[in-house]
Amino acid sequence: MTGTGIGAAVRRKEDLRFITGRGHYTDDISRPGQAYACFLRSPHAHARIRSIDTSAAANLPGVLAVLTGAELQADKIGNLICGWMIHSKDGSPMKMAPHPALAVGKVCYVGDPVAVVVAETLPQAKDAAEKIVVDYEVLPAVADPAKAKEGPQIHEVAPRNTIYEWALGDKAATDAAFASARHVTRLDIVNNRLAPNALEPRAAIGEYDAGSDSFTLWNTTQNPHVARLVISAFVGLAPEHKLRVIAPDVGGGFGSKIFIYPEEVVALWASKRVGRPVKWTCDRSEAFLADAHGRDHVTHAEMAFDDKGKIVGLRVHTIANLGAYMSTFSSSIPTYLYATLLSGQYAIPHIYCEVDAVYTNTVPVDAYRGAGRPEATFVVERLVEVGARELGIDPPELRRRNFIKSFPHQTPVIMTYDAGDYEASLRKALEIADYKNFPKRKRESARRGKLRGIGFSTYIEACGIAPSQAVGSLGAGVGLWESAEVRVNPTGSVEVLTGSHSHGQGHETTFAQLVSDRLGIPIENVSVIHGDTDKVQFGMGTYGSRSGAVGMSAIAKALDKVEAKAKKVASHLLEAAEGDIEFKDGKFIVSGTDKSATWADVALHAYIAHKFSGQELEPGLKEGAFYDPTNFTFPAGCHICEVEVDPDTGEVTIVGWTAVDDFGVVINPMIVEGQVHGGIAQGVGQALLEHAVYNSDGQLVTGSLMDYAMPRAGNLPSYKVDMTVTRCPSNPLGVKGCGEAGAIAAPAAVINAVTDAVGVEDIPMPATPQAVWSAIRSRAQPRQAA
Amino acid sequence: MPTVSMTVNGKPVSAEVEPRTLLVQFLREHLRLTGTHVGCDTSQCGACVVHVDGVAMKSCTTFAWQVEGCHVTTIEGLAKDGKLHPMQEAFREHHGLQCGFCTPGMIMAAVEMVYRKGHDLDEKTIREELDGNLCRCTGYHNIVKAIHAGARAMRDSAGA
Amino acid sequence: MAMTMNGEVRLQAPREEVWTKLNDPEVLKSCIPGCESLDKKSDTEFEAVATNKIGPVKARFKGRVTLSDLDPPNGYKISGQGDGGVAGFAKGGATVTLTPAEDGGTVLSYAVEAQIGGKLAQLGQRLVNGAAKKLADQFFEKFAAAVNPKEQA
Repeated sequence: MTGTGIGAAVRRKEDLRFITGRGHYTDDISRPGQAYACFLRSPHAHARIRSIDTSAAANLPGVLAVLTGAELQADKIGNLICGWMIHSKDGSPMKMAPHPALAVGKVCYVGDPVAVVVAETLPQAKDAAEKIVVDYEVLPAVADPAKAKEGPQIHEVAPRNTIYEWALGDKAATDAAFASARHVTRLDIVNNRLAPNALEPRAAIGEYDAGSDSFTLWNTTQNPHVARLVISAFVGLAPEHKLRVIAPDVGGGFGSKIFIYPEEVVALWASKRVGRPVKWTCDRSEAFLADAHGRDHVTHAEMAFDDKGKIVGLRVHTIANLGAYMSTFSSSIPTYLYATLLSGQYAIPHIYCEVDAVYTNTVPVDAYRGAGRPEATFVVERLVEVGARELGIDPPELRRRNFIKSFPHQTPVIMTYDAGDYEASLRKALEIADYKNFPKRKRESARRGKLRGIGFSTYIEACGIAPSQAVGSLGAGVGLWESAEVRVNPTGSVEVLTGSHSHGQGHETTFAQLVSDRLGIPIENVSVIHGDTDKVQFGMGTYGSRSGAVGMSAIAKALDKVEAKAKKVASHLLEAAEGDIEFKDGKFIVSGTDKSATWADVALHAYIAHKFSGQELEPGLKEGAFYDPTNFTFPAGCHICEVEVDPDTGEVTIVGWTAVDDFGVVINPMIVEGQVHGGIAQGVGQALLEHAVYNSDGQLVTGSLMDYAMPRAGNLPSYKVDMTVTRCPSNPLGVKGCGEAGAIAAPAAVINAVTDAVGVEDIPMPATPQAVWSAIRSRAQPRQAA
Repeated sequence: MPTVSMTVNGKPVSAEVEPRTLLVQFLREHLRLTGTHVGCDTSQCGACVVHVDGVAMKSCTTFAWQVEGCHVTTIEGLAKDGKLHPMQEAFREHHGLQCGFCTPGMIMAAVEMVYRKGHDLDEKTIREELDGNLCRCTGYHNIVKAIHAGARAMRDSAGA
Repeated sequence: MAMTMNGEVRLQAPREEVWTKLNDPEVLKSCIPGCESLDKKSDTEFEAVATNKIGPVKARFKGRVTLSDLDPPNGYKISGQGDGGVAGFAKGGATVTLTPAEDGGTVLSYAVEAQIGGKLAQLGQRLVNGAAKKLADQFFEKFAAAVNPKEQA
């Protein structure tokens, strides 16, 4: 390990521009002659559009165009799509309804874009949007997923609003396990709906160049190449080679910037229509209506135990709300990213899970930090904790009895866990959290009139979704490999081009650490280039904690090729056989001699090509690689949350947080810990504060940051974060991924702690003071028999 | 259109703007100082915090004309003579930022917190004082550490 | 999600007179909060423009006011539906019942139901109950004043 190599807490290269206000986020970019777009959105959750009168708006000063679904259809612009095919139990394909970028004939959620105004200035566009007259025939709406099947039918293709009724596992064997079980723990769980709220609102600038008949899109996206592919191949705006997508600095994504949304499609399309660059920047309150939400599951789950506290079976039924249209990856989240993780860290012989995905009159639901895995972990970790309480077994002890201890381990729900040591992370976490003195702390809290509780979450996640063949067999429309290109300049500095995208994760630093470590060159001499389809040939982007395991592995593979080529150059330069060249500490050495060449010498000679003929060796030093892993990676760990509850108000205060995670090999511990902190905060937000609430008319009533409670500094504690390491055998670097762990682990840890404190299991998320207070009251005053 | 004049990062500026122009729009669109960000439309997130005559202010809820004649400092004006402000250094050193979008507002709020509360800030004070600034990435842990260290470093650099 | 509330006003005028005023567009126009115009389309249909503010959202609503369930002089239902453009929509109605009071006056009781949508609901949901109550109070206060002109003095 060098000072900047793998394992070093290198300070981030990208920070200088951010701390000085010189980042370039999409809205910071202005194109010459740009016009501004404002969308008119439906105020109704469900309505037929009788007519749209745009004439008054079109005649206002500064207005360049007012466009609706009719123009979209006239220009033959295709629909947005969902790229993962799921089949129902009966073999029928999922019911994907048409999703035009601007409403055609009807609107299906509050916020559904109906028209767009493009004007010289944003105020002019907004003023004109006010003048569009839409005649709606309001239809009954349904927002609650549990009521969706009985609600008004939203799309012709989906009777009973059912997208699919999917199942995984062996039902008969699971039922048999339950029949012979000693104890069954049952829970009804609502996984609350969340609004992602990356701090940077989404934005897009579309620009059409008539000279080359090509488009450029600057966009807040986590995966510019996927956006280009979808906009070309499905929306049909431009062929792929005539569309450049640039994702500049992106201010957080958490999944919400993976998807291909109507607004960027419209900005591009409108730019050709008006012959000017068109910029759209989302307002925060617009974002609540326009960004895909997360979670929103209604679940009944049962866990069966034998007389020794061993889990013998798990049965889960989930209704998953996918909103009004199927977003880009929505179908895969409550299926292959959810049910496949229901084995948790435990050897469970039989698991059966049914998932019914439904349409409702709400904004689409798709991946949000963790995507399916927080929902699965919440089910499993709540069942285990409640089961332990019902069986009178110490919760860590019950977990221990059920841990998977040998690897590889095949679960009954597809996954083959490759490596892990769950006992080690639990043991370390119990030590750091000082579990043995918890009863003393509880008594001390009680003396102050407070209820103290402790909750555990021994979670597992599957990251770096892969390999492509496997995901293809499960219905994925794309491969999930990653690409890299390593370009060595004649002076020896290096540019790394990656298909993954950084929007807070620090790739410009960690990827450079890998190169610095491997080539022995200063980290300052490495640039990481990402987020531009004209520079990087293709890539799959960043989500699912995949950039380390998949993206960096691709770079490692390209570096192997660079080293092999450089050795050939060195052999000519040093007049030695290629097999005698060793590359060590940034130097090429002829084995057993004192003859050597520096990295810079070899780089220069690769380009000046004076020492070899073109027939012997191609000049230049640039290599690319595509890396497709052999398996998912399986980060796992133990989070322990300790809370104090004020019985008079129901207010929950988190008084301790311990996280011990196994992410495999760690490239930069500072960055990894930061990822854990952020994930915990989002998980705590889900557990205690956040809830996207629709009323029964389908109106979003938590549609601003005044109504939707985002975690603030005062809501959170400082965290104790530590790690254990088992090397991941499924990629060359041994890394697993860390971006989602906190968000996956935290909700169950919090609710397990709150329910422990209060002594009532039925506490919903978010566990607001009102909900907790009501739970305390329900305990204090048992219902009188009638 | 009325003319507004003020001093921004030490330079006098003047422009004709519509009366409804917000300070943040004036900074971002007229002066092209895009370091000040807009993260919400209800004064909740603090990404737009700047200093007006040394006082932290949410520039998204301030009309440009309201700061007529004032001295405005934005994130771009914090570093002096090519040297980072100690609070900027502290955010980098303690990994107090990830995506960087909330960072300008955080740093401006943190510097003013020190003006008001002094150089010895405990965790509770920092967390309470950050109530007007949202971050979705860091979980605040390292922001709190950065402000704690940055506050002390501001004293050291002032004493130097 | 409809919001409902009930109220009652005592008016010092006979029931028939109250009933007439309840059907007089000029009286209605002066009583509907923020009403800019009220054009009669038929005996029971009006087109109205009104500007109102709920929480942070101010909107100019264009819509229809309809009188239904007419039962002279016992009462009717007055309902309105307004489109506030990008601000969203509001709709609601009041069932108005007139009963003679012992003092020769009239007791007007009302049951109001209101619904909002779009930006109004998004930003104003927490405030809608209070705002709707205020609007209803304003309407019936003004109506009471119109019926009891001497109280205005």
